[in-house]
This record gives sequence, structure tokens and C-alpha cells, in this order.
Amino acid sequence: MKNDSKERSPEKKKQGVSRRAFLRGAGMTTAGTVALASGMLSFKAAEPAPPKTAVLGPGETEVRFVVNGQQRTLWIEPRTTLADALREHLHLTGTKVVCDRGSCSACTVWLDGKPVNSCMTLAVDVEGGEVTTVEGLAKNGELHPVQEAFIEHDASMCGYCTPGMVMSCAGLLERNPNPTLDDVKLATSGNLCRCGTYPKVFDATLAAAKKMKK
Amino acid sequence: MANPNKKKVVLPVAPDKEAHGPVKHLYSKKIKLPYGVPGHGLTEKEREVAIDEPPPMPINEKLSVVGKRTKRADALYKVTGAAKYTADIQLPGMLYGKFLRSPHPHARIKSLDLSAAKRYPGVHAVHVLDMEPGGSVQLDGGHDASAETYNIDKLPLLRYVGQPIAAVAAESQNIADEAVKLIKIEYETLPFVLELDKARQKNAPVVFEEKIEEEISEGDVGVTAADKQQGNLRGPTTSSFLGGARGDVDKGFAEAEFILEKEFRTQVQTHCCLETHGVVADWQPDMLTVYSSTQNTAGVRDDLAELFDLPKSKVRVITEYMGGGFGSKFGAGHFGVMATILSRKTGRPVKLMLNREEEHLVAGNRPNSHQILKMGFRKDGKISAIDLTSYGTAGVALGAGVGRVAQDLYECPNFRMAQYDVFTHAGPGAAFRAPGNVQGIFALEQMIDEAAERLGMDPVKYRDIIDNHEVRKLERMKGAEAFGWKNKKPGSDPGPIKRGFGMAQGHWTRFINLNSSATVRINKDGSVAIMSSVQDIGTGTKTILAQVVAEELGLMAEDITVKIGDTLYPDGPGSGGSVTAGSITPAVRNAAYKAKMDLLGQVAGAWDVEVSDLEMKNGDVYSKSDSSKKMSFGEAVKKMRTNQIVATASRPDDYGGFEIGNGIGYGRLGSVQFAEVLVDTETGFIKVERVVAAHSCGRPLNPMQVESQINGGVIMGVGYALYEDRILDLNTGHMVNANLDQYKLPYAKEIPQIETVIIEHYGAFSSTDASGIGEPANIPTAGAIANAVYNAIGVRLYELPMTPQKVLAALGVS
Amino acid sequence: MNRFEYIKAPSIDEAIDMMDSTVPEAMVTRKDGSAKVVKAAGTDLLDLIKEGILEPGRVIDLKNIPGLDKLSYDKEKGLQFGPMVTIADLENSPEVKKHYRALYLAAAHAATPQIRNMATMGGNLMQRPRCWYFRSSAHHCRKKGGTTCFAQIGQNQFHAIFLTNVCPCVHPSSLATALVAYDGMVELTGPEGKRVIPLSEFFTPSEVDVTCENVANNQEIITNIMLPPVNEGTRAFYSKHGQRESYDWSMGDVAVVLQMDGKKCRDARIIFGAAAPIPLRREAAEAELKGKTISEKVVAKVAEKALEGATPLAHNAYKVPLFQTLLKRAVMEAVG
Repeated sequence: MKNDSKERSPEKKKQGVSRRAFLRGAGMTTAGTVALASGMLSFKAAEPAPPKTAVLGPGETEVRFVVNGQQRTLWIEPRTTLADALREHLHLTGTKVVCDRGSCSACTVWLDGKPVNSCMTLAVDVEGGEVTTVEGLAKNGELHPVQEAFIEHDASMCGYCTPGMVMSCAGLLERNPNPTLDDVKLATSGNLCRCGTYPKVFDATLAAAKKMKK
Repeated sequence: MANPNKKKVVLPVAPDKEAHGPVKHLYSKKIKLPYGVPGHGLTEKEREVAIDEPPPMPINEKLSVVGKRTKRADALYKVTGAAKYTADIQLPGMLYGKFLRSPHPHARIKSLDLSAAKRYPGVHAVHVLDMEPGGSVQLDGGHDASAETYNIDKLPLLRYVGQPIAAVAAESQNIADEAVKLIKIEYETLPFVLELDKARQKNAPVVFEEKIEEEISEGDVGVTAADKQQGNLRGPTTSSFLGGARGDVDKGFAEAEFILEKEFRTQVQTHCCLETHGVVADWQPDMLTVYSSTQNTAGVRDDLAELFDLPKSKVRVITEYMGGGFGSKFGAGHFGVMATILSRKTGRPVKLMLNREEEHLVAGNRPNSHQILKMGFRKDGKISAIDLTSYGTAGVALGAGVGRVAQDLYECPNFRMAQYDVFTHAGPGAAFRAPGNVQGIFALEQMIDEAAERLGMDPVKYRDIIDNHEVRKLERMKGAEAFGWKNKKPGSDPGPIKRGFGMAQGHWTRFINLNSSATVRINKDGSVAIMSSVQDIGTGTKTILAQVVAEELGLMAEDITVKIGDTLYPDGPGSGGSVTAGSITPAVRNAAYKAKMDLLGQVAGAWDVEVSDLEMKNGDVYSKSDSSKKMSFGEAVKKMRTNQIVATASRPDDYGGFEIGNGIGYGRLGSVQFAEVLVDTETGFIKVERVVAAHSCGRPLNPMQVESQINGGVIMGVGYALYEDRILDLNTGHMVNANLDQYKLPYAKEIPQIETVIIEHYGAFSSTDASGIGEPANIPTAGAIANAVYNAIGVRLYELPMTPQKVLAALGVS
Repeated sequence: MNRFEYIKAPSIDEAIDMMDSTVPEAMVTRKDGSAKVVKAAGTDLLDLIKEGILEPGRVIDLKNIPGLDKLSYDKEKGLQFGPMVTIADLENSPEVKKHYRALYLAAAHAATPQIRNMATMGGNLMQRPRCWYFRSSAHHCRKKGGTTCFAQIGQNQFHAIFLTNVCPCVHPSSLATALVAYDGMVELTGPEGKRVIPLSEFFTPSEVDVTCENVANNQEIITNIMLPPVNEGTRAFYSKHGQRESYDWSMGDVAVVLQMDGKKCRDARIIFGAAAPIPLRREAAEAELKGKTISEKVVAKVAEKALEGATPLAHNAYKVPLFQTLLKRAVMEAVG
């Protein structure tokens, strides 16, 4: 599990406490317990968390998470998916909904650094998390190398699968700087493109990997 | 009132079938254009053209922008998520629509109660669509779709699962979804029929008691007359726009050395556009504005203007970005009409996008086919007779023919066909990338392969005997070379996984749509813009337009702003049938040329030289005779006397005229594909390892985008050959795999290594001499894979898709 | 999706107090919209809600309960992991890859990379079948409390070839195929405390109760999954065939875990996935393999035994040779 330690919340870093004790310690004091136990009093964990045992909804409820580096506060129903929260509430329409069932990965965003399907994620579940969408991939006005390579290699056609493809491929390079063609195919094995951009998506991603190493 | 589901201008086939001579012009000139294939006997062809036509465009090698690998104009916006599609449009006060759809394949509505839905908080309108939608079929019962009230007795018979009945407009999609469930409706269910074979039987439930008039065929053969309809069987269609029966087929068979007769079956394939069909309609007193996910902005405008009795000038249709259509997105559609009605009722914009299930059920499909193909072959391999009978069902729609390939691909003096449509209680078919021809080639090319084997000839060499089309011949040669065809030894693997090689070819008519106009604007600040209603459906239209204008003005493609997909601009063609590049680029070049002449005229005045002495290249304007006279484009535009130079031009007839009517050009777009497959004889799995695709599309404007289009055609062909299948439950009439989970499409690991061979072929047809590539790229793939599978395992598969089930059954394993 | 309340359970005990229904119950006997069900990642739960076949009143989220995402390996005790461990966690665990090859292969071939990042093992074992009639709100099938099995009389190309009498859906978890092959155990926690049962007893065929696929009751949560230790003689393999190699559900998958004495097979567990409503152990085939030196010939006989008693439906007879081939190859690969 080489890629999860950095992104995980302090709670999950806690080691050396027996499971039973940990369970007992949970509850209203979770955040404090964890911060002490882990010895890492992170700013995020120390923030007063909303009462965790409150029943939310079915009407609108407050949800807070970070999107593309910005703290966002939304009022949404618990049934709202992350995809809908992004598209309808935050007007970040780069994230596309195609199958609406996790079968096509067009809605791929990174949640705490990992590619996930925003259509199959409840926005309330993302409370306190960090979301990166295709709109947030470029940094300081510079495109991600995968985005650049997609342009260079003509890896978008109608473009509707492109945000999901970009997030899958950039996600791959974040965790594997030396991908093979098979790695790229594996990373995109859940991404549907109907126009047929796959060959160029593969080319672009391999080219981006090379460029990133330079 | 017209049917909103009728999809117009799928193929611009003119009713006038007489061949035209060269176009006559009041003032004309003779120009010599490149003709043939560079490196393979390229010559020149003299054409008499209108006096204002631009000079001949040299071959690609001599150009700076056209023919060069050029970045897709809108790629930046696509990779950053900035591109706004119809599904992304949000307007102030916008409402969301949702349809109530038939849950039965055949039923009558007994009662309908909207009251609860109307009362539901957040609902602004409920509307009953009291007319019969039916794909391309004209089914207007005389009701007014836009009427405010409905009459229960006049509600349409329900003929397929998913048929629209009513819709609500509400403040959110959730509210609309909930409200539509509150509509109380009772049905009287009726017997139904779904299968092609059963629907033809005498006692089968009849889909349409009345005779159906067909205005424009969704298929590719021709319109069948309504009087040829008996029960669910309709036809036969015995001719296409290329003509009908020829010669004496019986005599041809009598003269044959051997006769092959086989039956082939193909499945129903759904389009699976990633962006579903849908619109945002905004009815305002002075203008109806509709954002539409369409392949034809002008067509949607025309539909809505006609349906709502509005002047075309007061309907604006916008398609800035569009998430795939593949033939299914022509016309306003029942959703477009409904959204417009709901917007008019509520005074607010209404968004109505289909969901994924609806997309499978009601947004079109490629009809299935049952083809009985009989061919006679002479000793020398020449084809002596072709007799084709086909049946296909487009559900409640028409257009289930199997195309013109049997009629037109190979030389054969004796030909006849009988293509039947069969109605079934299923969602309407629609045009789908090379309608009919994809089905047809699966049969024809397997039979040619069989004949070659019978004759003991190599399939590539055999085609050289029966097909003298020069470009295709070259494609076979170059394709075979790239593929390494000569060295391929099939079936020699010792293990259970067998390797095989196959090839197939196809062709596509060069359609031109003369409703292709564009404006080019040069602004005094040096910016240049192109405007046309033509839309970019993912093929790269924006890029090639920018390239053509940049080439003419001596600029770079990225210097040109392309504003298309808006009917406020001059009409462009619908993007279907591979017409776009060949239709709109000459109009754009001619407009750019006009604007350039205007600009150069002003510069020539300033410099006191002849306009003909001036040239624009590499960002400069200069005198060819006096090298001291040179300035940058930026300086040149400052000489403009007005702030803007505006020029508009339209697509003229093909140089040399059309072969047929006002839209069918001479020549065919050839395509030849080679496939290498692995077949696991113990599991039945087929893997397509590699495809070499050799194609021609006239002048390739942007080889990078041509490659992408070819890749797309091949991959769609792989899906058609191996995976895709609309599966209907025969007991309930429901499509059981109306999702992207169980409707199997090729994903990353199913993608073969694809190599493209692009033949640069000049026909001296227009000021750009470009043609399309979308259709031809998709036609031969399934045939090539089928031949490769046979080559691998020695057993031929006559039915698509070639699933493990079918392979094992063919091998006698299960 | 219907409107529902949502609550983050702070602990297992509290989650158990908060819940009052299994998902199957919520779909059959608690359809009034009042059912309180638990959710892990929710990839299957959301799917069911989106299809309109599940309308819970309250969703209890387990994600905030600490400690449920732990994975540990011990040479003596074997592999243990909590229900919130994701499929990707298994795929990326060096211990799993090294010691539990069949499980690793099953994880690596499950769903999509995105889903693997999200979907938890608890949810994976609790997920409902993919039968297209079951998933369709238009078909009130036996599994949803109806009287008709539409698959038996309809489109059953991806359905079961064993135990097809009541409901021929296949169990959707391909991970379960591997877990059962390793003779895994599952710990269920309820108001009465914990119970630990073999996974082979956790899953129940349609004959027992057509409306659900396992023994978990309405206040039970999977709290741990345990695999016994492996040793130097353990050889395992897993292979799955979908219609696609990319993301796809299984048409047939096979897990074999062998205990080898040199070239001789001392013990074997052979499990078929997508063959029956449960991960299906093929005991006759295991017996055939025991004590034998593995050869093509032996394996052919084993494969034959494994398919004895198959009752394919109208459209899935192809699964018989498919499973035979998968099994033959899996055994050969395992001993490789």
C-alpha cells in the first residue's frame, strides 16, 4: 500500500492501539483521541467537527470539502452524488456523467488523490475530503503533462470521455512514473470512449510519462 | 404537422436521379487541378469552373497548413473540462424535464390522471404528447403536439417500451423524476412481436394497421412505397439511387462455374453516444433558442420552425460542443419538441436530456439483418450474378436495408436485390455510421473470401481481378504491405489459441450537401473568424476549417477563430454520411479567398500594384514582382478602409458536376482493412490483435484527425463484430441491457494495434478536394475480423456478434 | 434516487443500534421507505437506489468507524482484513500478492480501477446479484418478492449452470470465489456479539431464501475477514473470463488452492464463480485431484468431474466447456 500513507487522514495513520480499545475510544471524542494517539495534531483534525451522530437530511444539509484546493461549503440533500454536487452546485461541468453507474468512468475525479467515480459517491461521504476535478489539474496556469500530451497526440475527439480519461491517465502517472502500454490500458480499462480515442490516449500518456521524467 | 422524430437530411440524396453534365456558368474559367495519387501517376485535370473560384489548391506537399498534422482546435477546452456541452448548459430559472414512457411493448392507454403530478411541489408543467413518435416514420395522426390539452381517445397506441407519453418540467431533476412517477396511468396490454422472423409470420401481432408513409430513408437504399406493406412486412426495395436490377440474374447463375448461397445475420447495435440526446429549450417572445446535442443545427431549427409555426429566423439552435452522434442525432426529436412545449408553457428554459436507459431505448439503433446472399462465379473468378434478399427490423421505424455494397462494390453484370423492412414492437432505428453498408459488407466480404478459397486464390489478389477501382487497388497493395500480408501463415499454432488473418473492403458514396455556407471575417486588428452553422461532432471540423482559412490567408491554424454550431450563422450541412469535410471546406475556402481578394485589393491600391501580383504566405503579404514590397499580415490589415472585411460563400457544385442529382459526387471512397486475430478454441474468446486500415478521403486535410477517425471506425467495428448486442426480453419486450454495464462496448484492452494508411487522392472535385472519412472507416472492419476468424479456426461464423458462445457452438464444443 | 436520511455511525455498536434492515429485506418486506440500512462505500447500494429497486429511509455510513480498514498478515495466523479494506488495498498489498496469489488476481481483475479504489470488501461480499431482471424495476422477480423468474424463461446467457431451480442468478462477487477457495472466514457482529463462520456457509443458495444471498441478519455487520495461513506447498491461481478483458462482470471465474507435496496434490479447493447463486465449491473435482500427480490427463478428468451435475439453461450451455477450460488452465497455472 505504497500510495496511501501520504493522503490518509491522521485517524488512519494511528498504529499500535488495540482494535477494541480504539472502538471504545471512538465516539464524540474521536478527533481528539486520534490526534493524541498519532502524535500529529494536524490542523484539520483539530477543527471542531460537526456532530457526527446527527441524522442528516433528507432535506438539504451542510457539507464541506475541498475542491481543487479551495474549501467549499454546500447545502445539499444526502442523496446528492459528488458528480451532481460538482456539476449542478459548483458548476464544475468538466466532470461528465455518462453511464451514471460506475461503468464508464467519465465522471472520474480524484478523491484524496485516488481516481474514483463521482457518480457513485455520495457528496456527504466526501465531508472533509479533498477532490480534484479536471478543472483543477492544471497548476499555476500550466497544464498537466497528460493534458498537454492529449492535445499533442489528438487524444480527444468529441471530448465527452476526455475529462475522465485525463483523470485516469494523470492518476496513473502520479503513482507510476514509468508505465508500460499495459499499465496505461489497465488504468483506462474502466473508461469508455465511443469515438475511438484509445490508441491516442495510450500514445499521449506514454509520451507524457517520458516528458515528466525529463 | 410533421413528425419531430423524422431525422432530416441524413444523406443528401436528391430526388432527381439524372446525371448532370458539367455546371454551366455565365463567366467561367478553366483551371488545372491535381488529379490522382502523388507517387502513383499524379496528373492534372482541367475543369471549367465559375470565374470566382479560387485558384487550384496544390497537393499537400506544397502547402503549409492544409495536409499537415494540426492540433485539434478545441482540444485545450476538452482536456481542461472547459468545453460546454448541451448537458452542461445551465440558464437562470431553468427547469428540468422528465418523460413518462411506455412500460409495455404494445398497449393502449385506458386512463391518464396528471393531477398528482401537477400538484407536486416544484412542478411547473405537465404535458401529454398526443402524437405518435416513430423514428423516421411519418406517423402524424393529425394531432397537434403543441396543444395544451389532450383527448384520451386520441392518445397514441403504444408500440414499444420507452415510447414517450408525457413529460413534466420541474425545478430540479429529482423533482421531475419524482413527479413523473405520480402520473396515474392504466394500460390495456396487447400482444406484441419482437423477432424478425416471427414478425413476418401471418399470425404475428401487427405493429401498424395503417400504411406508413416514409419521407426520407434512415437506411441507405431508398424509400419504400407505403403500398408495399403487408402485415409487418414492407417492401421489397429493389433499387437504390444507384439504380435497380441489371442484366439477367438467372442467366448469370447458369453461366457460373460455381454458386455460393449463404445466410448471414447481424444484430441490433445501439449508438451509445456518450452525451445523451437532449436539449435546453428557451422560448422567449422574440426568439426560440435551443441548445441541442445534434449533428445538424440547421435541421433542428427547420423542424422546430415547422412544428411551432415560427419563421426560421426566430429559431436559434446552438451546438458548441457535442458528445457523439454517429448518425442518431438529426432532427429535433420528441425530447426537443417536448422541451420547447414545456418552455413555452412555463416561460422558462427547460432542459431535457435523456438518461442512459432512454438513450438505448428510444434514441436510435442500427437495425438487425437477415441476409440471403447468392452469388455466381465464373472460372476466372469474375462474378456472374448476385442475388440478395434481406430482412431487417428498425422496430417501429423503417430503414433496415443492408446498403449498396452488393450492388456497387464489385463488377457484376447481373444483379438484383429485394430488401425488406419488418416492423416489430421495439424502439426506432436511426441512421448509424454507414447505414446498411456495415451489415451488407459482413455478408458480401465473407462470401468473396469463400470464393477466393474455392478458386484457390489469395483474397487480396482475387479482389484485384473483380475490383478495378484504382484507389482501392492501391489501398490493397499498400495495406497488404503494411500488414505483412504475404508472410502470414494462419492456424499453425500448436496450442488451443489459433491466429488468423483476414481482410475486407468497402466503399462509401461521396455525398455533397450544397446547403453549405460560411462567412469569413477579417477584423482590422488582424483577427480572423469563420462562422457557419455547421457543427463539430468530434470529427475535427473546427480544425480543418481553421486550416483551410489559414492556408488561404498565409496564417497559422491557431490564428483563426472558428465559431460554428449556431444557426445565426450561415447554414452548414448536417454532419452525417461523411459529407461535412467535402461540403463545407470548399465554401470556407471560397469565402476566405473572397475576403483575401478584398483585402489584397485594398493593399494593392495602397501599393499601386496589381492584385494578382500579391501573395499571402507565412504571415506576410508581399508583391511577387517587387521583393521590397512586403509587410506582415498585421500591418496589411491596417490598410483596411473598414473595420471588417466580410465574405460569405456557399458550396458550388462539384467541379465537373455530380454523378447523380445534386449531391452524389463521382468516385467512391474506398476502404480496405486487414485484421489479425487470436481465437481461443477452448473458451471461444476472440481477440483482435492488430488492424491495418487503408483509406482514402480525397485530400486529407489533417492526417492526425483522419487517423483518429479511422481508429474510431475500426474500434466501432470491433465492437460490432465481437461485443455489442441489444438484448430484448422476449416475454416482456424490455431491453435487458439498456446500460453501459451489460451492453458491451470495446474498452482499452479490446483495442487492437491500429495502423492507418492514408491514400492522398485528388479528384479535382472542388476548391479543397476534400472528402469525409467517418463512414468508410467503419464499413469493412467486421468483415475483415470475420474472415480472420475463419482463417484461424477453419469454421466460418455467419452471425454477429461473434461471441464466445457462438464460436464454441460453431466449433461444436457446446 | 429517493430521498433518504443519512447518518455517520461512530462505532460498530452504534451502527448496529441504528440499523434495522438488511438490503434484501428493504427490497422485499420493508418497502415502505422506512428501512435503515448500512452502507460502506455505497457502490452497490447507490446502484440499487438509482435503479429504483431499493428505497431506504435512512442510510447509515460505516466509513467513519475507525479501524475497519486494517489489513494484516501473519505467517502463523494468516491474512485478516476489515470490511472497509478496498479491493485496491488487496490488489496493492505486497503480502496478498506474495502469499495469496488467487486473491490478488481476483482483486486485480475486479470491476474498474476507480471502483476498486472505492469498493470495500464488506460491500463486495454483501452486494446483490447482477441479474438484469433483478436489476430492472420493470421485472418483479422472485428475488424481489415476486413469483416469476424471468431469467429461467428469458435471456439467461450469463446466468447459472448449477442450482438453477429457484433463481439462476450468479453471485456477483469474483473476490468471493478466491476467498472461499482459501477457506476464508467471516466475522459478523450483531447485538448479541460476534459470530465467525466459514465463507462457504456465509453464502446461501436460492433454495434457502431466494430473496437474499447470505446469512447476515438485519442487525449484523461484517467486521472481519480472515484467511488461514498458507505454507510452502500452497499453490493457487484465479482466472476470470468476461466478455471483455477490460472492465466486465464474470461469465465464469475459477479459483484453485492446492496443497502440493512436490508434484503430488495433497489437498485441493476448487471454486467456481458465476456458475451458481453462490461461489460454488466443486468437491468431486477436488477429490479427483487429491493424491494425484498433476498432468494434463488428470486435470482433464478433474474438469470433467467439476461439471458433473450442471444444468445449463437455454442460452448458457457454453459455460460448461468454458469452466472446464478455465479449471484445467487454472490448475496447470497454479502448479506452473
